[in-house]
Amino acid sequence: MIRRWLHEPLVHFLIAGVAIYAALGWLGNPVDPADRTIALTKEGQAGIALGFERTLGRAPTDAEMDGLVDRWVREEVLYREALRLGLDSDDPVVRRRLSTKMEELATASAETDAVSDATLQDWLDAHRDRFADGGTASLSQLWYASEAAARTALAKGSPRGFPISLPPSVSQMPLREIREIFGQQFAVELAGLQPQPQWQGPIPSGFGWHLVRLTARTPGSVPALESVRAEVEADWRNATIAERREQAYQVLRDAYTVKRE
Amino acid sequence: MRKGLGLLLACGMLSACDMGIGGTATAEQSGDGTQTIELAEFPDRPYWGDTHLHTDVSIDAFGFGVRLGPEDALKFARGEQVIATTGMEAQLDRPLDFLVISDHSDAMGATRRLYDAPRMLVRDPTLRRWYDMMHESPRQSQRAVGELITAAANNEIPEALRDPEQQAKANRELWDNHVALLDRYNQPGKFTALAGFEWSLMPDGNNLHRVVMFRDGSAKTGQVLPYPGLENDVEGLWDYMDAYEESTGGNVLAIPHNSNLSNGAMFEMTGPDGGPMTQAYASRRAAREPVVEATQIKGDSETHPFLSPNDEFAGFGVQGWDIGNLPLTHKSTDAMRAGSYVRSALLRGLTLEAQMGVNPYAFGLVGSTDSHTALATGDENNFFGKHTGNEPRAGRAMEPQNLGTRVGRFGWHYLAGGYAAAWARGNTRAEIFDAFNRREVYATTGPRMVLRLFAGFDFTENDWGGDWVRSGYSRGVPMGGDLVDSGKAPVFLISALKDPDGANLDRVQVVKGWVDAKGVAQERIYDVAWSDMDGTRKRVGAKVPPVGDTVNRAEATYENTIGAAQLRATWTDPDYRAGQRAFYYVRVIEIPTPRWVLFDAKRFGLDLPQEVIDASVAQERAYSSPVWLRPAARKQVGDAPMIMEET
Repeated sequence: MIRRWLHEPLVHFLIAGVAIYAALGWLGNPVDPADRTIALTKEGQAGIALGFERTLGRAPTDAEMDGLVDRWVREEVLYREALRLGLDSDDPVVRRRLSTKMEELATASAETDAVSDATLQDWLDAHRDRFADGGTASLSQLWYASEAAARTALAKGSPRGFPISLPPSVSQMPLREIREIFGQQFAVELAGLQPQPQWQGPIPSGFGWHLVRLTARTPGSVPALESVRAEVEADWRNATIAERREQAYQVLRDAYTVKRE
Repeated sequence: MRKGLGLLLACGMLSACDMGIGGTATAEQSGDGTQTIELAEFPDRPYWGDTHLHTDVSIDAFGFGVRLGPEDALKFARGEQVIATTGMEAQLDRPLDFLVISDHSDAMGATRRLYDAPRMLVRDPTLRRWYDMMHESPRQSQRAVGELITAAANNEIPEALRDPEQQAKANRELWDNHVALLDRYNQPGKFTALAGFEWSLMPDGNNLHRVVMFRDGSAKTGQVLPYPGLENDVEGLWDYMDAYEESTGGNVLAIPHNSNLSNGAMFEMTGPDGGPMTQAYASRRAAREPVVEATQIKGDSETHPFLSPNDEFAGFGVQGWDIGNLPLTHKSTDAMRAGSYVRSALLRGLTLEAQMGVNPYAFGLVGSTDSHTALATGDENNFFGKHTGNEPRAGRAMEPQNLGTRVGRFGWHYLAGGYAAAWARGNTRAEIFDAFNRREVYATTGPRMVLRLFAGFDFTENDWGGDWVRSGYSRGVPMGGDLVDSGKAPVFLISALKDPDGANLDRVQVVKGWVDAKGVAQERIYDVAWSDMDGTRKRVGAKVPPVGDTVNRAEATYENTIGAAQLRATWTDPDYRAGQRAFYYVRVIEIPTPRWVLFDAKRFGLDLPQEVIDASVAQERAYSSPVWLRPAARKQVGDAPMIMEET
């Protein structure tokens, strides 16, 4: 989502002009389309020159600077006339772009803010389940096509199972992997067993029924911040951006009354 | 303070940058993964991936409307939730183990740049038209891309979109950011992010596309740029690949796909110029293209009923796709079929090998999605569409989907997409890539069946009782391997396990192709194991009766009350002839299950027409890579001694 805004087009130089103007908080008040004086300050000119330099890697010559200023003035004249004619008001593209830019303004700082380890540690602590690994299990399993066959074998003692191309035993396998190999149902059922040296079950899986000897299980743990910092930071940033966007919208939204006919 | 147009343009360029998550990749993440994790003694499990996925960097995908980029694609593939372009929350029930993002190299990022550009700078009238269409509405945007693909097929892409200098500069920045992003998401042992791109050669609209896949991290892949497909030929691509390996010491391979849309051009008996195929061409092709993508959203390329009239399962994913080439600029004829499908290509390979001594078409098989939504979805119940225009919504099943023309491809012809399974010793770039290179990979149409195959000469039923995987590797070859004829019929150990969360298995088949004594290519299908084979499902004549059908059409559900959880076979070729050149691959068939159109019908309350209902249940499948049986090398007399095989 964030990247989508960053990629959002400067679709139209008019719109881009408006956005940049807003972003830089130029003069702190809106352009009056009726104002027929165009003032180009020293800072403004420096900005134009800087833009040139960033693109071409050198400062503009005097002649180039004149050309740039002419172009800027031309753009400004057309821009103000466009606003004066209200060209921005009934164009759905303009409408969408501007609203997007407004949202971007609300969140721009969250996208670039440096974030402290303390903030991320708090975030990690508050959202442990998002970053915890699922733990591991060590087990042996025997496969039966039917529940009855599995029960009978268990009752008789020394069960042997039927051949199947599944691992007969696994050691300290992450639960994520157990779920991939034995399937979701098996993983869910396994969670209900406690480690003990005897065969347990049978428990069902997508393959049939299993007697299980669960010898060990380690609980899921939350990794240290330094090993998941990038993930935590991305998660924090995404959440912060979404939150600021909503807050900014609410402030503006509260000032409006919407009447729907 | 005020900034001028120059800065605006600078911003415009910046907007094409990839603003990924912060931080940089560690050394372990940046390389090919060698010595980063402990490896198993043998490839011990299949790793699941998609080698064919497009994001907003692809010229057509962006135009079709996708606004998710490579980072979203990586997050989604490794199991995180993302918001699809059309606003739905999307998350894989089971994450993938590896991913190749394969955006088109031609005009990489160009539609996004075009879309992002100030309109006044778009001077070319065609581009300006597309620009306006792209901004007008998603529907118009898709139309613009339809025109663009047609223009590409006719070599009429406006010069301004291909301006090499600008393209090179933009590509550099885009690719550098991209390979750095891949490193950051590459986690040896957990998730493998492989660099790649799609090379989209399409003479006259005939699909000759390849996915190019790298083994290496950014230190090497960052030294090159994706190689454009239009206006080049396949030998140019191989030159590019040779040069990459030579200058970086890295490795790269290419995966042809959608041969079904090539009108016979993908697997020709001739060389690319129409003359006889040269040995040099055949050798290069075999070395550069060890794997072919046999199934994906735009149809299945295993075989066609015309080519395999005795194969009762031959029609899968053919309907709609077999009427013409990719943009339907030319219709397909039966004479073209043999060059368009994988099984016939494997046969052609045997014939060419008999003539030249080199088999250009000795390839392994994978499946993938070719999704243009940045979402690598392969299952029927989570089909996110070929592109953003047909992400889930009521109308998508019945709409024409025929890229610029209107002659009979509809939404319901799309398959939900396939996946690639790679037998590897661990989940790293090197291990996954090497599995592809030695063809120890297989294709599925989405379900994650576990399919194992070993071929040798002395396997017996008793091998199953012991460590049969060890026996398989020590006394035979796995899928993708070569056997040298020893005067005995080859024996195969075949194990197929159902998808743990999916449907039961109907049967396991061996597909054999060979060249007979008269030099004529032949194929035969053997049912080698099926559910209840010792009980209620006895052969009737030569045929195994159908497994049945438990699909509830109204509810889009099925029951695993038929079929088997696993099927095993120890199979000896009953028609072996000494000196015969042959290939053998395994096809695993699931019981019937609902296709995505039934899930759509249920979700959106659709009333589907009869022809769609007839095609709304399918038996999904897996295709192993073949094992080849090659005649023992004969001792040559004279001045051209042949090197005997090393053992």
